[in-house]
Amino acid sequence: MPKHKKKKPDWYPLDNAGVLYASIQKEKYSAIYRFSAVMTEEVDPAALQRAVDQVMPRFPGFRVRIKQGLFWYYLEPNDAPGPFVRPDIANPCQPVRFKEDNGWLVRFYYYRRRISLEVFHALSDGSGALTFFRTLLAVYLRETGVDIPEGGGVLNIHEPPAREEMEDAYSRYAGKKVLRGGWQKTAYPNTSEAEPFYTLNVTMGFMPVDKLKEVAKRYGASITEYLAAVLMQAIMENQAAQRPHRPRPVALAIPINLRGWFPSKTLRNFILTVRPCIDPALGEYTFQEIVDRVHHFMRLSVNRQEMRAVFTGNVRFTANRFLQLIPVVLKNPVMSLSYRLVAARPYSATYTNPGQFKVPPEMAPHIQRMEVILGQATRPSPHCASISYGNVMEITFAGTGVSSETERRFFTHLVKEGIPVRVESNRTK
Amino acid sequence: MSYCVNCGVELDDTAQSCPLCHTPVLNPNKPVDMWGPKPFPTEKGEVPPVARGELALLISAMLVSVAVCCGVLNLFLRAERAWSLYVIGAAVMLWIWFVPPLLLRRLPVCLRLVLDVLAVALYVFLISLDLGGGNWYWHLALPIILLGGAIVLGLALIFRGGRRSILTTTTLIIGAIGLFLLGVELFVDRFLTGSWQPGWSLIVVTVCVALMIPLVIVRRVPSLREEVRRRFHM
Repeated sequence: MPKHKKKKPDWYPLDNAGVLYASIQKEKYSAIYRFSAVMTEEVDPAALQRAVDQVMPRFPGFRVRIKQGLFWYYLEPNDAPGPFVRPDIANPCQPVRFKEDNGWLVRFYYYRRRISLEVFHALSDGSGALTFFRTLLAVYLRETGVDIPEGGGVLNIHEPPAREEMEDAYSRYAGKKVLRGGWQKTAYPNTSEAEPFYTLNVTMGFMPVDKLKEVAKRYGASITEYLAAVLMQAIMENQAAQRPHRPRPVALAIPINLRGWFPSKTLRNFILTVRPCIDPALGEYTFQEIVDRVHHFMRLSVNRQEMRAVFTGNVRFTANRFLQLIPVVLKNPVMSLSYRLVAARPYSATYTNPGQFKVPPEMAPHIQRMEVILGQATRPSPHCASISYGNVMEITFAGTGVSSETERRFFTHLVKEGIPVRVESNRTK
Repeated sequence: MSYCVNCGVELDDTAQSCPLCHTPVLNPNKPVDMWGPKPFPTEKGEVPPVARGELALLISAMLVSVAVCCGVLNLFLRAERAWSLYVIGAAVMLWIWFVPPLLLRRLPVCLRLVLDVLAVALYVFLISLDLGGGNWYWHLALPIILLGGAIVLGLALIFRGGRRSILTTTTLIIGAIGLFLLGVELFVDRFLTGSWQPGWSLIVVTVCVALMIPLVIVRRVPSLREEVRRRFHM
């Protein structure tokens, strides 16, 4: 390593979301998510590898390995060979193994016209990863002979990385007042029989954005709110089909990108989840009522002051002197249990919508559509994610459960609303 | 393009059934594209298995260190007896059992069995050296070991040719046990008295044959075999 680099810190701590994801990682849970771009031409693996090699040094937050210290996990720059692009596999978002694959926490795959990027959530959230992916796609297209200018969300790979891109935005914006959410009720888990190891059932639905927007508008909601409501209804129907003696509430974890409220250029995690919830034990809800509830809940709870108070609590948690003194081997099981109780049990599913993927106009004709997949949950139930590009909205259900009832109810609801849906899946039976 | 008649969603050209409700795709105007590329890869990514070479090295190192330590200790502790030969012999036997199959992936089963039997013979030979029993080793232990090895080898050769029914397998194993014990008594008698007077082994053989007869009958009579299969959920 050149001498002048020694001045820079050669390690840095994880942000408070990263701390959690690093501690709870295991073989049956994957904090990996995937973004894919389906190009208009077959992918050239050699050009993609060249693009990866050029882009990685520009993004020091992704060019890291995770190390276990005595008290916390930490990140350090990874100078190992790679990461190498690989032919794609049938079971995406495999759990990360810190000591394998030269310690890389990002993976690159190609399959026919599809380029996929998988990222460990401790490094970055969807917004940061999409900036990285957009730049990678631009460099890849340049390698294949297309002239793509800088700007429009594409970072200049010849510029040194900006300090702000690496900042821990949670700490920067943490305030003084802490807001602690009370104990949340256990939600309906929406599980089914588990598939054997190395199986992740992925079902994708594609539909026109304009049509979806029109239907969502009819209910007086945004696309995210409308889709969240459809998902909640599908899960409620799953529960009702089992005729439970006492129905449990159905709640979603919806990550909110905080950059819209707290300006930051960080490429690391800067999200917070909100929990819209419907309790069927109180009585039946019409679909319009579900949409209204989700819509108003989102508008009410997504505000600067409350969100700041919530993540201030999280920052205080990792900065707690007493907690810092507990060795990481003891901390991991405690974190794992608290994740199960606080972040898994009160939710029926996760629904994330990173929104529209925008690219410079020169890139647009070369990308056909975008896809997103979330890794397996702690239990055999599907997670839902969506992303739009141009006029194509892509919605993915991914999980290790055998049943496809949730996705069936979800997509057939959209079809009944007059939205044409095309479905693709990696299920073999 | 085909649509699911049940869900109403448009399906991929290669989909044989709807991924949502599993209804088969039957479209006479547009048959399923069986040969076209699937929307997702079909090869699964799995955890790479432990490198066999490394495992072989680890086992070898463990066994060698045990053998060397015991050999050196033998020079100081109860040096009048070569007790370390027991440990060294066991280490050699274990090494022959586990390491060559790890290193040579295509080692034929027969050769592997021959090596394993020879390893057992070598171990017992080392024991006989310590006990000063060359006589019992050559006339009793070695023949029994070779007979056992020959019978296991025979079974391996029979089972190698594809999948056998569980009835045939059980019958053959019971028969092999009977044969082995008959041989054991033969060698014991010849070693002790010089002549063969079959006694206890005949009882064992009778029991084995009595066990085999119903199994052979069930195997031979199709109606009985089906009945057994049905009743035992085989």
